[in-house]
This record gives sequence, structure tokens and C-alpha cells, in this order.
Amino acid sequence: MVTHEEVLKIAQLAKLSIREDELDTLTKDMDDIIRFADTINQVSAEASGFDNINHLENVFREDTVIPSLPREEILKNAECQEDGYFLVKKRG
Amino acid sequence: METGFGKIKKLSGLLRRGEISCAELTQNYLDAAAAENPALNAYVRTTGELALKTARRVDEKLARGEELLPLEGIPMTLKDNISTKGIETTCCSKILAGYRPIYDAAVWEILQQQNAVLLGKANMDEFAMGSSCETSCYGGALNPHNLKHVAGGSSGGVAAAVSGNLAVYGLGSDTGGSIRQPASFCGIVGLKPTYGAVSRYGLIAYASSLDQIGPITTSVEDAALVYDAISRYDERDSTSRGSDAPTADSLGKEIKGMKIGIAREYFDGIRGDVKAALENAVKVFESLGAEIVRFDMPQLKYALPVYYILACAEASSNLGRYDGIRYGYKTERYRDTNEMICKTRSEGFGDEVKRRILLGTYVLSAGYYDAYYKKAQNLRGTIVRTFRDAFEHCDVMLAPTVPVTAFERNFTSLDKIETYLTDICTVPVNIAGLPAVSVPCGFDGKGLPIGMQLIGNTFREATVLNAAYQFEGATRKTAFRAAEMGVRL
Amino acid sequence: MKYELVSGLETHVELSTKTKIFCGCTTEFGGEPNTHCCPVCIGLPGTLPRLNKKVVEYAIMAGLATNCEIANISKMDRKNYCYPDLPKAYQISQYDMPLCKNGYIPLSNGRRIGITRIHIEEDAGKLVHQDGNTFVDYNRGGVPLIEIVSEPDIRSIDEAREYVEKLQLIMRYIGVSDCKMQEGSMRCDVNISVRPTGSEELGTRTEIKNMNSISYMTKAMEYELDRQIDILESGGKVEQETLRYNETENTTSSMRGKEDAHDYRYFRDPDLVTIHVGDEEIERIRALLPELPDKKRERYRSELNLPEADIQLLTKYRSIAEYFEAACEGVKRPTVVANCIIGQIFRRLENDDAKEKFEIPVSPVDLRDLVLLLDSGKIKMNLLKSTLEKMLDTGKPASELISEKDLGGVDEAALKELCGQSIAANPNAVQDYRSGKEKALKALLGHVMKATRGRADAQQAEKTLIELIRKLP
Repeated sequence: MVTHEEVLKIAQLAKLSIREDELDTLTKDMDDIIRFADTINQVSAEASGFDNINHLENVFREDTVIPSLPREEILKNAECQEDGYFLVKKRG
Repeated sequence: METGFGKIKKLSGLLRRGEISCAELTQNYLDAAAAENPALNAYVRTTGELALKTARRVDEKLARGEELLPLEGIPMTLKDNISTKGIETTCCSKILAGYRPIYDAAVWEILQQQNAVLLGKANMDEFAMGSSCETSCYGGALNPHNLKHVAGGSSGGVAAAVSGNLAVYGLGSDTGGSIRQPASFCGIVGLKPTYGAVSRYGLIAYASSLDQIGPITTSVEDAALVYDAISRYDERDSTSRGSDAPTADSLGKEIKGMKIGIAREYFDGIRGDVKAALENAVKVFESLGAEIVRFDMPQLKYALPVYYILACAEASSNLGRYDGIRYGYKTERYRDTNEMICKTRSEGFGDEVKRRILLGTYVLSAGYYDAYYKKAQNLRGTIVRTFRDAFEHCDVMLAPTVPVTAFERNFTSLDKIETYLTDICTVPVNIAGLPAVSVPCGFDGKGLPIGMQLIGNTFREATVLNAAYQFEGATRKTAFRAAEMGVRL
Repeated sequence: MKYELVSGLETHVELSTKTKIFCGCTTEFGGEPNTHCCPVCIGLPGTLPRLNKKVVEYAIMAGLATNCEIANISKMDRKNYCYPDLPKAYQISQYDMPLCKNGYIPLSNGRRIGITRIHIEEDAGKLVHQDGNTFVDYNRGGVPLIEIVSEPDIRSIDEAREYVEKLQLIMRYIGVSDCKMQEGSMRCDVNISVRPTGSEELGTRTEIKNMNSISYMTKAMEYELDRQIDILESGGKVEQETLRYNETENTTSSMRGKEDAHDYRYFRDPDLVTIHVGDEEIERIRALLPELPDKKRERYRSELNLPEADIQLLTKYRSIAEYFEAACEGVKRPTVVANCIIGQIFRRLENDDAKEKFEIPVSPVDLRDLVLLLDSGKIKMNLLKSTLEKMLDTGKPASELISEKDLGGVDEAALKELCGQSIAANPNAVQDYRSGKEKALKALLGHVMKATRGRADAQQAEKTLIELIRKLP
């Protein structure tokens, strides 16, 4: 059974805020989904490597410089910036 | 057997012979979109200026007598989770409103090299999470066969545009069925390639180990042509393999003696019109000389919970970056950074996305990791092996694409879990990283299309598409119906 | 009650690769903010990481140089947490299958400090706080790091210091990092606890984060050691917490404001594939390693007759050691070469940086040739020293600076005569010397050296002068 506390704790980790009026439905939804997910514990499974599905390995790149993008591009989508930095204002 | 359902070659021919200019062709599609899109909501933004500019370039090429590349000058669309430099790309989420990528997705680079004419970005379920397109912040895309029903999801916009003849083809993405299901709902063709066949660089990630980009078209031949163009190795994607087997040239080979595998579990849950259509499909294959092989795949029933656990876990991590600092939506009022981030995300994400992020965070959290995430990974390995064993006994597998036809708009009869369950036929394919194509195979009593899925072994797109091609040839008249809208050729 | 210190260190070392760990942006230090960035390292939606081969190679070298086992199979994991300096909201690191483990660093007191593991990861961007606002620069984001975790084997602050210095020395020798704490290419987190001497149980530990200088680290440890002992002696309990060191007050204090819920939800990064390092590859990399400092020092001790202090100086930087070794080829007395380096050459290198670079106009071959002249008796020590000065000034080899007539020493008879001349020409100096002023001899010697243009053997000349003076009436 997923509890309110668990939902709030998970929400904090996920950086989501849950409103009072959402908490009940959300907790119920989570509980339903977890119960649905729980069906995997009806069966045993042998440990499989956490591998890429095509078993790719050793995919590397060389240590060669590729020119960086100009700063205007990097900052282009940032609503808040100053002096070439991304800016997170103290308060909004 | 009938052939010649492909639009791409037909249009390419018209352009080459000068029977229509690319500009005129493009304008036709833009006009159709202007007329029909308000009702259909397939496009969330159109790119008319760019489209006409590209079209003019193609016309100039033609005027110089140059050869056209296979997809050159063909009007198309891209799902709005595929990065297009300088063109707003939002995943139909408020949290990416106004975001203009500063780079192109690999697949878009490839298509631009062929002067593909981009008509606009297509609607989708928010961050590709959904099966109806209705979680889109722009509202859902509708089904050209019946506007009271959804186009499906998450690539609903692409399917609606292609099925509604507002684009010749489109690229969607498929994580748990998001290309195949809308193709099935809209009565057209959708191919999910083998994992690794198409570069994911530039595809805004939902679940990294499951996502693949693929074509949605009105014919198998078109799907093959588009797949051949986009299935290239890309060094920017460490999971990219590319494909070294072109498919369009091997369409038309006879399939006498081909072994078509049918897993009982796929057919357990289907009833009524869908069941009838699928059984009929089996008969068609038999009449084409294929051998039907039946077997059990009991592990299939775990595919859905495994999918939701793994997909949501990866998604919860992939979506952590949306905090308003570098791009996208940012909340206006906050007292400190933490509140800024939490409010931004809570206001910017829709409910389904939030649910999946929470689920994903839960199954990765300390105390639950072993029982859910780790267990799901292990079961994934089991499912992969199950398919590998199945393909020892058959060349392709046949299955329904979806147990139902297109949902009604704003459907409330299905609760969360019931909705998730409709993914039951598509999801195992993503878990196993296999290629699968959905082709139309009939209609239900209301005239809504029914889709059939052909699943192949890894990198066997040629085999799968050929089998689909043969089926299409035998059933086009009864299984396919062009929607009465858009550009008629 | 006597207490003993128990400590372990987590050290982050910036690798000196040309590019970042997952993209081709430069790792050059400095640069205007956000000018060394690309879609990948600022984590734009849809971007994917590509692992820099050199990073893996350097990490393996670091592991081999610290006696670690290198994992044949290893992978990258995501460490998920939200902070403005982390653009993807996860750091790509290694969790349960690091590249290296079970190594050690030997200390001069014979003890070994175990190394639990070394793994690779990406660095975060830099935050600048001003008036409560936060300015973010992602230039550093994606710079490759290795994290070296030691066992809690350290038992004294001196051991901690030596461990860090040893680590720096080794990493610089193998060329994987310049380990400059002041520049941030090496940072230490210190875990520290105390327990009654003789006890087997570990006390509660605290962690002092982000030490960026060895002297601050030792001061912080001293403070924390005292603080913990005070708590225990007054019957209290040490709380497990994360601390920062306050430089101006020389205190440690709790770091509140950082995430308390440290559930990083590690899972394998699906965008990256398995790293498979075969045994052959490990051996290939091992062969790339230079002779390590410990081994080198041992070899100098057994093969050369040098004082320990000199050995330490010569082996402090690989550049010096290799110069020294090249200059010693075929030389009879390596001590001469050593003295040239430690004396005259070091005098011209103003600081540690310059010593590490060791860019001097005299090549090791040139120095060797000069010393060989001494060995063959063609010149004496004075001339060697003065010639070396000229070589350092001009960059010219000895052959260009020493004329034919300077070669060859002064024979006994000629020396005696010159000494006699010196005595005759400097009666006051002779008088001073005879009345006990030993220094006066130098004036007489100088006369002889000048007359022979430095070719005379100074020691021999002194002996001769003293003999002659003694014979005077």
C-alpha cells in the first residue's frame, strides 16, 4: 500500500510539488500502478546483465577537440541570463 | 497481387517528369493543412515558409536536370519530439514552450540532405507518454476516419496527418507502441525499427533503452523507402548500430514457405471485430503459401509491468533536467531555487507525465530498487530470450497491433490501468528491441480501422516489410481506405 | 583516555585530457563563462553522451600506478539529483562496477593506505553566488574526473598529508593530471572519526568536504580531531554530518542547505555501453607507465651514492628525474650531475611550477658532455661550474664555451710555482692567514685560479699554498 508520506517523499526527490487536493487521487493512482507493477514478483527470473540490448561494448570517441558552440547559442533559450552566465534569481 | 500503393515513388515521378512543380505540390499540402488541421489538430505548428523554400530548391535542381534522391521534394512531417534547429520543439508540453533547439536531430539532418519538405511539427502525447494523443498540451489529434475518435498515441499527430492526406509520410517515435498503435487506429502503416537501427541523437528522450524513431506512411513501400534513408549508423549515439540491409529493393519476393509464428498469448485478449480481422489475416497468409506455426509465450504477460517499470524509471531520470534554468518554461513566483524548480515542474508537466515520473522515481528509490527495477531488468532478459527462442521456429510473428480500435475522444470509461493494458501487443516488441510493422487489416462495425502487427528478429526489417508488402498486395482493397480529406493524388 | 584518529579520504582528480568526458569540448582552464559548451554538456533535450577513450585509459593508468585491480567489465551509471550545476539532473558516474579497486599507497612509515576504488565520472558546472543570486557557468561541466576512495586506514594527520602528497606525485608522474589543489584539479573530502586507542570499533565519522589545499586540510583535521575528542570526553556523541572548513576562523561547521535525502537512485545509464577491458589491453597500458616515484627512489638509493634529501629533490617531478637520468649516461660520478641540478640549475628556477616544467636552455646531453670533461680530467670543478653558468646564460654547449687552452689541468710543478707567485704577491693575506684568519687563504687561492683561468684544481692549490706558507720563515 502506497501511503501519502511515501508519495510526498517521492515527489520531493522528483522535484514535484503535490497540492493537498491532489494527494488522495495521486496516492490511489500510484497504489494501483504499483500493484500492477507488482505482478512481476509472481515469477522468478534469472539475473541478466544490465546490458545494451544489442550487446554493444567499447563504443568510444577519440580525445580530439571539437569547437564549442558560440556562447549566444548556448544561452539562446535561457530566459534569465547575465554577463554570459545562466542566472537563477534569488526570488521570483 | 496488386502493387503501386506507394505515394513517394509516384510523386517523385511526377516531379521528375515536370508534371507538377515541387512548389505547387507543397502548396497543395499547405492549403489542405490550413483547411483540415483546425478540425484534425494533427499539426501543432506549420512551417510553410521553410517548406516552400525547400520546394523552390528542389525545383531549381529539376530545372538544372539533376537527379532527384528517393525522398527529395516529398512533403512530410516530424513528431514534435524530434529536434529541429531553430524551429520550436516542445514534445507538446508546456514545460518546453518556446524551446528552439540549437542543433538538428540526426534523422532530420539526413532528410534535409534529401530536401525533404517539412510541412510542420506534429501533435503527440506529452513527452510521448500516452496512447491517445490527448495528454498533449495542445489537445489531442483526431482520427481522419471518424472525428469523434482519437488518432491514437503517442504519435497521434503524425498518424492523423498522414492518414488525413496532409503529409505524404512522417517520422514518429515508438517506446511502447507509439508508432504502431496510431498507425493501427488510423488505418495506415507504421514501422518501429530494431533498437539501434535509427539514431536517437536529437530525439527528446522518454525511455532511452526503448525509444526508436520510425516512419508512418500509407503504404509498405513508402515505409521501406523512408526506413532505408534514416537507418544510418550515427557516432553521436553510442547505442546506434545502423542497418546494413536496405529493404525497399527486396519487396516483392514470394513468401511461400515463410513461417509465420503465432503466440497464443497475443490472441488471448482479443474479441469481436478485431479477432475476426486477425483471423482473416492469418488466412490471407496461408493463401500466400506461408506456414502458420503456433506456440506459447507465457512470459509475454509480464511485458507490460516490465515496460512500465523500466520506461518510467528511465523517464523519471531523463525528465529531471526540466527546471527552467537553461530553456523552457519557468514559474514566475518563488522564494528560493528549490521552490522555483518544484513549481516550474509541477506547473509545466501534465498529470500523466507527473504520474510516470513519480512511478519511475519510486521504483528506483532505495528499498524498492531490487523488487521493481532490478527485477524488471531481469525479466526483460527473460523476454528477450523468449523471443529469440520463438524466432528459431518462425521467420516473422503475427499479432494484433491493439486489442481495440480507436478510443472515443475524452474517453473516461477506461481507467489508468485499463488504458495501459491496451499496449499489451505492442510493448513486448520494445522490450525485446525487435522491428515491427503495423499494417491495416480491416475495419470494425463503426468503420474504424483495425491493425495487424508483423514482428521480426533483430535487424530483419527486410523480411518483415516484405511479408507486410505481400499482405498489403492481397488485401489493399478491403483493408485500406483513404480518408476523405486532404490532398488526393 | 587516549584517542586515535581514523580517517579515509575521497579525492577527486581532474584528468588532463584535451576534451571533456562525453563531448568534444575543450577542458582548457579559464575561458569566458559558457564558451566551452555544446548541446551535450549542457544537457539539451535529445543529446547523448560519447565516452572519451583517453579517460578510460588514464583511469586505468591511475589504478595500475596505485596497485589496483582493473575490472575487465565495467559500466557507467546515473547518479540522480537536482542542482543548478548539473544540467541533466544526473551525473554520469560509476556505482557498483568501478574501473579499479583494491589498491594501496605505501607510506614512508611502512604502513599502507588501502585504495577501495577508483572510478570515472563527469564534473559539474560552476556556481557563483552573489547577493543571493546564482550565476551558472557550464565550462567545467563534463570535465573528466577520477574519484579515488581510500580505506579508513589513515591514523594520523601526517599520514593524511603524506597520502595526498604521494597521490599528487604519482598522478603527475604518470601524466594523468597536474593535481593542483589551488586550481581545483584535485579536491579532497576527508572522513574523520576518533576512537579510544586500541579499540577495534569505528567511531561516528564526519565528512569535511572540498578541501582545496593540504595545509587547510591538516588544519581542518586538527580542529575536527579536537572537536570530536572534546565531545567524547564530555560524555557526548559525535553526530554524523557533512562539514565545511571555514578558513578564516579555522573551524568546521555543518553544511546545511544541501540535499538531506541522498537517495541517488543509481541505475545503469542506457545511453552508454559496457566497457570491456581485456587483460591484453591492461598490459598494453601498464607498459605505457613510466618508472613510478617509489621504485625510482629505491633504485637511486641502491645504485647511486646520493643523500636522501637529494634523491627526494631529483625525483619530485618526472621531468627532473628523466633529465637527471639522461645527463648521467656514462658519467662516472652522478653526484656531480645531481649537484649541478640541485645547485646551479634549481637556483634559476623560481618556483615549483618552473621546476616541474624544467624548461632550461641546457639539454641533458649538453650537461652530460660537460661532466664527461670533468671525468676525463680535461677540466676541473671550478671550470665546470663557471662553464655551466655560461651554458645556462647562453644555451651554448660546453664545446663552444671552453677554448682548447683551457682544457687540461695544471701540473704539480707549475702549480707550485703559481702558488709561490701568489704568496709573494699577497704578503698581507699571508700575514692574516698566519695569524689565524683562515679566510685569507681564499684571496691567495683566487690569485692562483685567476692565473690559471680556473684550470687549477682548487683543492690541490689550497693544499699547496698551505704547505708553502708553512715552510715560510
